[in-house]
Amino acid sequence: MIVIDVASPTPPFEQLRVQLARQIQDHTLAVGTRLPTIRRLAADLGLAVNTVGRAFRELEEAGLIETRGRAGSFVSAGAEQSRERARRAAADYAAVIASTGIDTTEAVRIVQAALAAEAG
Amino acid sequence: MTSTTADLRQAAAWLARHGLTGTPPTPLLATRLAARRRARGAGLVLLAVLVIGAALTQAYEQLSTGRFGGSGRHSHLPPLVLAGLTVGLVLARAQLDRWVRRVDRQAALTLPRRVAYPIPLDWRAVPGRPHAVYAVATLTGAVVLAASAYTAPDAAVRYGALVLLIGLLGVAAGIVVQLHDILTRPIVADDEASLTADVVLRVEDARECTTPVVLWSLPAVLLFGDGLGWWNAGSLVLVLGAALALCLVQRGSAPAVAVARHATSPR
Repeated sequence: MIVIDVASPTPPFEQLRVQLARQIQDHTLAVGTRLPTIRRLAADLGLAVNTVGRAFRELEEAGLIETRGRAGSFVSAGAEQSRERARRAAADYAAVIASTGIDTTEAVRIVQAALAAEAG
Repeated sequence: MTSTTADLRQAAAWLARHGLTGTPPTPLLATRLAARRRARGAGLVLLAVLVIGAALTQAYEQLSTGRFGGSGRHSHLPPLVLAGLTVGLVLARAQLDRWVRRVDRQAALTLPRRVAYPIPLDWRAVPGRPHAVYAVATLTGAVVLAASAYTAPDAAVRYGALVLLIGLLGVAAGIVVQLHDILTRPIVADDEASLTADVVLRVEDARECTTPVVLWSLPAVLLFGDGLGWWNAGSLVLVLGAALALCLVQRGSAPAVAVARHATSPR
């Protein structure tokens, strides 16, 4: 389910993008699932076509969906590939931590700080 | 269109009928249901006009071809008038759907937030495979019956078959127009309960529009009365077979609420 709250301070395109991205990441929307057309979703959610188009464009740039011409937009395998990259990077990081002797709590704190810096 | 207390009561009854007793009847649902009730009533009038128009065309032919003292000549005008009437009725059906869509859109404008599901519904969910197959089968059966009657040596039966074919074409076009509208009209919901109700409304509308009310009455109106031909036996088999099949399809299909919950739940 996608919820768009017009009173929310988050712009509608961002609300849509975040919810679709989350549902793709947690496999609520499986790889290969066909999404509604931009026009259709805009009508369903009472949004402008451009707003939905922007959310789709950003999801496409993130590799989460792909547009196959007139066939429409589909959930791509990009989310799985991103997760696999993250797993590999985590394994490399764990190896560095083990070799330098930094304890686990501090290692987690370093990751959290890096994530916060990335988000902020 | 605004909802009245009676509309709210009917909405509560509708929710109870679908096992959604935990969901309170909202003005949004009451307004949407009231619009559908009115459109359904008008839709039945359109179908009645089609059946009466076809029967009048047939009656005119019988009066003018000498059976009841007429000139004995077949006229092409009545079937043309019927074809025009059929096109007009299909357009009227499209206008009715457009009106329902407008009521939905106006109701949606009052919602502070909107909810939708990210997976589009298709004909496999609305009306569902069994109902879709049933609609195609009954329509094909009626067309085959009419086309077979058109090859009969009796000119009066051929004329009846032509009128029947025009009517069937109109019915088929009406079903396509209505199903297209049901599948493409925007969702009007602001929470999970109203989203479920939205899908139930679609399933209900789609199943109703694929029920062959006219297919059961048209062959009987047009072909009966010309003696006990095989086409009469055929139309009887069509009516009885379609009624029996409808019972089986309705028993075998998931309730509209189950379809809605499946369609809106995470996979």
